[in-house]
Amino acid sequence: MKVIAPNGDKLNLMPLNIGPSHGATHGCLRYFCALDGESIVATVGEIGYLHRGFEKMAERGTWQQVVPYTDRLNYCSAMMNNIAYCRAVENMFQLELPERTKILRVIISELSRMADHCICVAAAAQDLGSTTGFFYLFDSREMMMVIWEKLTGARLTNSYARIGGLYRDVYEGFEEDVLAVCKQAEKNLSDVHACFDRNRIFLDRTVGIGAMKPERAIQWGWTGPCLRATGVASDLRKDEPYYDYETYDWNVVTGTAGDVYDRLMVRLAEIEESIKIVRQALKRLTPGPIDIMDPRIRVPSHALAYQDIESLIGRFKSVYEGVRVPAGEYYYGFEAANGELGFTLVSDGSGKPWRVKVRPPCFTQFAAFHELVEGSMLTDSVATLSSINIIAGELDR
Amino acid sequence: MNFFETLFPVLETKFNVEKDASAHWDHSVIAKASVLRDLITFLKNDESSKMEMLLDIVGIDYLGFQDYESPRFAVEYVLKSISRPGNRVRVKVFVSEQDLEVPTISNLYPIANWQEREVYDQYGIIFTGHPDLRRILNHVEFEGHPLRKDYPAHRRQWLSTNDFLLPALEKRLESKGYKVVERSKEVLPNEDEYLTGSIQE
Repeated sequence: MKVIAPNGDKLNLMPLNIGPSHGATHGCLRYFCALDGESIVATVGEIGYLHRGFEKMAERGTWQQVVPYTDRLNYCSAMMNNIAYCRAVENMFQLELPERTKILRVIISELSRMADHCICVAAAAQDLGSTTGFFYLFDSREMMMVIWEKLTGARLTNSYARIGGLYRDVYEGFEEDVLAVCKQAEKNLSDVHACFDRNRIFLDRTVGIGAMKPERAIQWGWTGPCLRATGVASDLRKDEPYYDYETYDWNVVTGTAGDVYDRLMVRLAEIEESIKIVRQALKRLTPGPIDIMDPRIRVPSHALAYQDIESLIGRFKSVYEGVRVPAGEYYYGFEAANGELGFTLVSDGSGKPWRVKVRPPCFTQFAAFHELVEGSMLTDSVATLSSINIIAGELDR
Repeated sequence: MNFFETLFPVLETKFNVEKDASAHWDHSVIAKASVLRDLITFLKNDESSKMEMLLDIVGIDYLGFQDYESPRFAVEYVLKSISRPGNRVRVKVFVSEQDLEVPTISNLYPIANWQEREVYDQYGIIFTGHPDLRRILNHVEFEGHPLRKDYPAHRRQWLSTNDFLLPALEKRLESKGYKVVERSKEVLPNEDEYLTGSIQE
């Protein structure tokens, strides 16, 4: 395509399609560039290749039946999405959860955050040609996956939170497993830093690439590690604390330049902060109930259902009719691994949600992708794309 | 004091908004579409609110909602403040089925561009003045608006090809000040070319 540039130059641009099925477009997305030589002049993105109609499906079932769908949003930190959704619904009931549940949810959230950040940085390392960094990070992630397996029976799309409690209590030996993961993750982190910190190839590929200004990031609705990498200390765990996050000793990590390097390093530093939180939370963990005792909200356990008729009725009603969430509309934002995961819930007072709208954090990040890569080289777009951690499951829903 | 209690009287006198009775757990106001742009501009820039971030635009279809008699659709804007953490407000605009029009706010928040496209895609609500109102999540050949309550969830549609992104790319180039003098041959493909793919030369 022949164009005249704003400065009067005549250019012959080459349109180049990347994705939806390409090693660098994690998940499934597509961008289309106009190239001048090797530099990108303009690019447009197309999403929706993984659109499965989450929001339509959520309207068909009961409130509890949405929980396993939420695993499929950000499948790299599946249980965190459960927790976010359950917390949104619990807020509509204005429930106070048992202490043990809150602490377990913090531990699971932070482990999920670590796993998510591990995947993001590992995939970025792989895209930049560092298979070693990839395996260091996947090592500790694999240990977390083994915990998930023991805890929920699944590795990837595991669901653990329930409205008003948890699926079940943790298994024997959970604390030791988590501590072992923390130790291994620290070792792997130091290995990864040894790999990257003074690595000329890595620095050349990441420093100053795909930079974003803080004001612009806010206008684009960026949240989470990508916003913090630009230098804005915005974290819902500090700003609007839930599950007693204000009582843990940890820091909000921020970057300075908002480039690929900062985005990856903020994630690595956040893993360290999450390890701190997990260790403190484990010390607070004391035996106790994990579910609230209200058959209208949390289905009674099997043990109770086999003993008395009320609990049996409670189980039937809960499964057939669903939880009757008070009528009204509510938006709740939760600090997920990728940023603010928001749920807009509309209830008409029945057992089925009227509307469930997800605010996926990476939607806003990919919407700004053209601003990050225009003017840079085609290869830099690959590094940029992996640093904003697009998870097609939540991008397309 | 809660920030909303000080903010609401200002909004009430300036923009004639009402409190949303269905928001029991957070703050929401109902506004008329005619004042929407001014209201959002005020919320974004004024010292008393400073809602710098547009988190989400949500479409809602109330067809068949219990005891409900107002316009069929609503569009909800979820805003939050970064400089005053914890301050959040939602703005709701009702849209009737005959009208289906809401003014765009994509020049106030760049992210609104994609979020409005999503609401258009799922509900068919037209955002007047939007620079590029195309489908986003659903396929380019898709017919209908799937999140409307009268769209059956099990309906299947035959969709054959990728979105032909060249016109969008040209638009993007033109918005950056480039002038397209010779278009690629593949911009407007015929039926055979759709099946053989876009790369010809």
